[in-house]
Amino acid sequence: MPNLKELKNRISSVKSTRKITSAMKMVAASKLRRAQELAESSRVYADSLSFILSSLAGNTKNSSDLPEILTGRENSKISLLIINSSDRGLCGGFNSNLFRNAKKWISDQQGQGKSVKIMTVGKKASSFYKKTDLDIVASFEDLNSNDRQLQVSEEIKNKILELFESNEIDEVSILFNRFVSAISQEPTYQSLIPLSNEETIEDESEVNNAVFEFEPDKNELLEYLVPRNFLTQIYRSVLESSASEHAARMTSMDNATRNAGDMIDRLTLTYNRTRQAFITKELIEIISGAEAV
Amino acid sequence: MINLKVVSPQKVIFEKEVEMAVLPGAEGDFAAMPNHSPFISSLRPGQMAIMSSNKVDESFFVSGGLVMLKEKVCEVLVDQIEPLSDVNNSNYQQSKTYQELEGNETALGTFEQVVNNPPYK
Repeated sequence: MPNLKELKNRISSVKSTRKITSAMKMVAASKLRRAQELAESSRVYADSLSFILSSLAGNTKNSSDLPEILTGRENSKISLLIINSSDRGLCGGFNSNLFRNAKKWISDQQGQGKSVKIMTVGKKASSFYKKTDLDIVASFEDLNSNDRQLQVSEEIKNKILELFESNEIDEVSILFNRFVSAISQEPTYQSLIPLSNEETIEDESEVNNAVFEFEPDKNELLEYLVPRNFLTQIYRSVLESSASEHAARMTSMDNATRNAGDMIDRLTLTYNRTRQAFITKELIEIISGAEAV
Repeated sequence: MINLKVVSPQKVIFEKEVEMAVLPGAEGDFAAMPNHSPFISSLRPGQMAIMSSNKVDESFFVSGGLVMLKEKVCEVLVDQIEPLSDVNNSNYQQSKTYQELEGNETALGTFEQVVNNPPYK
């Protein structure tokens, strides 16, 4: 028969776990709101920038005129993957989903005869990939404030440009959890070099309507725009990933709170049954004692 | 009136209808007014002024960026923008464009030149 005291302790420890998980859920919910706002307000800049870039690139008829940082190198051999993970755990399958996805992507690339380099963002990714034999070119951690997120994006951008110019990488993609809704996040790839041109196609009709004059000339503007566009795309992925992280934590902590509640119910039931069994046993002992006299 | 929209990577800083805005373009200052021909330019660090009936209403320090001008819309993508009165030599030298040009003041102008030479006369 289970010990009453043990059961009581067990119940109170599950209760305090429930308090912790429900507090974490609230914190994640309020952080999520803030992260979502940030992600949305940064969108205006990113959209305008990609509009300018596409009208610039669209105006250049011959694509061979464009710098190779936009169009990508022919025969690219080395791809770089930037993986946006979280700094902290307890957010459900947020990180493991991402890593599983990355593993597939990496073996795909290697199947095509390319070698893969990795850049990690967040503590979880850096500790995970340290154990593998992949080539890690840089790791970034502690993205705990918005200023820091911007700063890290800037550092990533500089690193990419440096690596591309020294021919150490030919392609760059970002992997991050795209924020779909509070209950769903989707591992998503975005290609930076060559620049993915989904937006270019969407805006094409609009671009053709307005013929812009450029100052200074196109090449100089592109030189200015391309790094700026990297920065915005990276920054955007960092923000999306942080919104997703909070959403994932919120749902997983909600589940944990609910599970703890179920567990408490079950334990309380056992506790009451055991207590009653004890009382009955004691009564039987008293009665049979009285009968014996 | 032209719709002036100032945006930083983090957020929309302000959006309002103005009569005229004078901006520090990379190859010279220009005024954004309604029905300007479509125009895209980069900005050098300098002053941006919002004007109405030949008077300056507000002036700002812009650390560099981009501007896109369409018929009735003027979108300014800035790295950093402050009211002119809040700017001093040290945060001028910390501005991103300044750092990127490695303090090449002949190409850029010194802080005094930028602040004391408004684009409007």
